[in-house]
Amino acid sequence: MRRINSLYGRIGFLRRVPENSTKQSHNTFLASLSFSTDGAYGGGGGGEQNSSRVKIFDRDLKRIHRDRAAWLSRHKTDTFVDAVAENLLDRLEDCKKSFPSALCLGGSLGAVKRLLRGRGGIEKLTMMDTSYDMIKSCRDAQDDSHDNSIETSYLVGDEEFLPIKESSVDLIISSLGLHWTNDLPGSMIQCKLALKPDGLFLAAILGGETLKELRIACTLAHMEREGGISPRLSPLAQVRDAGNLLTRAGFSLPGVDVDEYVVKYKSALDLIEHLRAMGETNALLQRNKILNRETALATAAIYESMFATEDGTIPATFQVIYMTGWREHSSHPEAKRRGSATVSFTDLQKQFGGQS
Amino acid sequence: MVRFSRVLLKDAGVAIDKTLSEILVCPLSKQPLRFCEKTKSLVSDTIGVSFPIKDGIPCLVPKDGKILEEESDASKA
Repeated sequence: MRRINSLYGRIGFLRRVPENSTKQSHNTFLASLSFSTDGAYGGGGGGEQNSSRVKIFDRDLKRIHRDRAAWLSRHKTDTFVDAVAENLLDRLEDCKKSFPSALCLGGSLGAVKRLLRGRGGIEKLTMMDTSYDMIKSCRDAQDDSHDNSIETSYLVGDEEFLPIKESSVDLIISSLGLHWTNDLPGSMIQCKLALKPDGLFLAAILGGETLKELRIACTLAHMEREGGISPRLSPLAQVRDAGNLLTRAGFSLPGVDVDEYVVKYKSALDLIEHLRAMGETNALLQRNKILNRETALATAAIYESMFATEDGTIPATFQVIYMTGWREHSSHPEAKRRGSATVSFTDLQKQFGGQS
Repeated sequence: MVRFSRVLLKDAGVAIDKTLSEILVCPLSKQPLRFCEKTKSLVSDTIGVSFPIKDGIPCLVPKDGKILEEESDASKA
């Protein structure tokens, strides 16, 4: 107990059941979320110490959302999530390298597993998610499909506290999971460390343009009905930030690209149902826990009046940012040091030019 | 291969996959974990926390960890 005090008391918030509890009670503790980059790797890199200690998302609520999503999407396939997973996994075919061991981090686990189809030469797959029910349903789906060509193991863990040893997996895939982490740079750094040299990190996160119609409709409805607004959509990464994130995490050969998907729904309430089934509902700490029936109906009405298409369906934009990065390896091309050039441009012109 | 490890899980009910045991470490201290037979959980000795294993799936979320009591049988476990 005293050990824990010294380790966590300094840097974090420690909550424990009082001392006179019985032996059967559980003492749970909540360490500060910034522990992931503070000294966990022997202070690897001074720049990594200044990760934000701001908690934006309620991770416990997110676990509960994902439990519910596991039940809601048990027997249905989701075209949007499948499209994103397919796009992500397609990148594996572009690589000559094969990845014997892979780790799949939360988000749309089931879709990634189902659409893998032997790409990338994966032999051992580890599925990890914060929600136990999601993992259970993945495992049950695998039992039902009797597809045993890939050895799969299941694990419940938090993306912000990755329980994976350093340099132990060849490939990390995260499809629509990392935009709910409080400390995205920290998570990416932990992913990088878990990768073997010349390992690949593939992630798809939702970008800033996602659900902009919903954001506008919510704001307008709130202003009208309640005279004020509270955050209903989480802060999402911009494309320009994605590149910075990859470089900051220390990945070499980073690559970012963006795709926009417009999904059409019959009504605004169908959109909300879809978000629930994906586990993407509001989990901001600063959220307003009460939603007036009037406001909700007003939001639906404004959405339909402002954004409905000719055939009566309403569209919702999902902007997905795909990020790829490799763990550094001697075979990767690197920019040479300034001033170390051995050939000048005039030499090149003499060699290849001659027309001008 | 997968069927074999699943049979193992059904019989033992608590043993974990060999693949997992090679790559798992404590989520907070990043030190190796020890499988404790008595409580059927993964123990991280550096910080004195044990993580449960539910139905063969280790739960390594920091919130699920239980602080081990400072007793003589905890150190033996």
